[in-house]
Amino acid sequence: MQRMIAVDRLARPDEIILVPVERIRESRIDQGLMPNAVMPLEEDFLKGRLHGIATGEMQAMEAAGRTLFDFPDAPWEFQLDMARQVWDESRHAEIFVKLLEYVGSYLGEFPESEVLWSCTQVDDPACRVAGINRGLEGLACDVFEQIIRMGQKMGDPIIERAVDYVLADEITHVRMGSKWMRKLTEGDPERLRRAQEFQDNIDALFNFDGFRTAKEDAPQVPLVLGGTQVDFDSTLTISRETRLLAGFTDEEIDRLMKAAARSSAY
Amino acid sequence: MPELGDRSRAIGPQPIGERSAPPPAMLAAADRILDLIAQRDRAMLNGMVVEKAAAELEALIDSIPATAYVSHEIIAHAKANDHYYVKARLFGENAESFTLQLRLGARGGRWIIWEAVNLTGGRTAWTSQG
Repeated sequence: MQRMIAVDRLARPDEIILVPVERIRESRIDQGLMPNAVMPLEEDFLKGRLHGIATGEMQAMEAAGRTLFDFPDAPWEFQLDMARQVWDESRHAEIFVKLLEYVGSYLGEFPESEVLWSCTQVDDPACRVAGINRGLEGLACDVFEQIIRMGQKMGDPIIERAVDYVLADEITHVRMGSKWMRKLTEGDPERLRRAQEFQDNIDALFNFDGFRTAKEDAPQVPLVLGGTQVDFDSTLTISRETRLLAGFTDEEIDRLMKAAARSSAY
Repeated sequence: MPELGDRSRAIGPQPIGERSAPPPAMLAAADRILDLIAQRDRAMLNGMVVEKAAAELEALIDSIPATAYVSHEIIAHAKANDHYYVKARLFGENAESFTLQLRLGARGGRWIIWEAVNLTGGRTAWTSQG
């Protein structure tokens, strides 16, 4: 079996439309929208966000499986952690597919981007866990915390509890990523630097050009969500306490917040 | 997804939102455009594409053998705000099917092409094509 399956060879059934993330951005620019992400103010926010997570969970499942396969010489405990993550992500994918149905959407209603899978193109397990477990799953911690608060505001325990259940796993995945980034690079500062740099690139990709704020600083605007009007964040928020639970340091979170604030000044 | 039947008769939480359908005018435009692509009708298609996607469409038409395709099937569509991605397959008796993907968006009341990509031979199969 082939190692490092290229981004444009990611297999999907016919009814799924896969689009490179650059093209999704281009489509948003063509329509006069913020290029990077579906924002809370947009009509399809809840459906679009849950769809993005459902496909992200699927790719996270595939990516953890590929990492297991691509690095047969990695420590046995690392392989066990990756196998456990495949199992976790498969449950998450099922949960989000059901949540899509709950909000009146379905898998395939929106295009799927390949951004998570692109992290599997790096030929170093330390970089993979830095990019996927720390970068992308760290982002997931923020995104999930925001959806949980949204569910609370909507008075919707289904969304609130389902996402909270998944968040508990994501926190362990970030911790797992931190552990293996450290262990795999022990005694090799250059390799650690490369892994951190890889994660920094992922973080930079998702700072959303200034449309991220600390959750406490998010301007509140009236939104209609699932048929209910609520005042809610107009930005994509960063949740310090969730990231601390996941094992990020205050220094790392400060750096992320500063980067988000810097890009809002442009 | 499997058909789950009449959910209102099922125990448990009911959906809080309804599915939305793609605009019929978009689907009609997609059918028309796919016919024109199969026929390699460059003259007609030139008026149905935004300028920045013209070269991409031209390359797509160039990769279609003349007179090879007589019918098409839309196999998927996906919503990107007010635009739609449409994945389709062209069929002909003596040719391998040809898979392509368009992005359509309305401008001036007409649905036109914003992207055109040849997917044949990749990106659509379950496994082992490459």
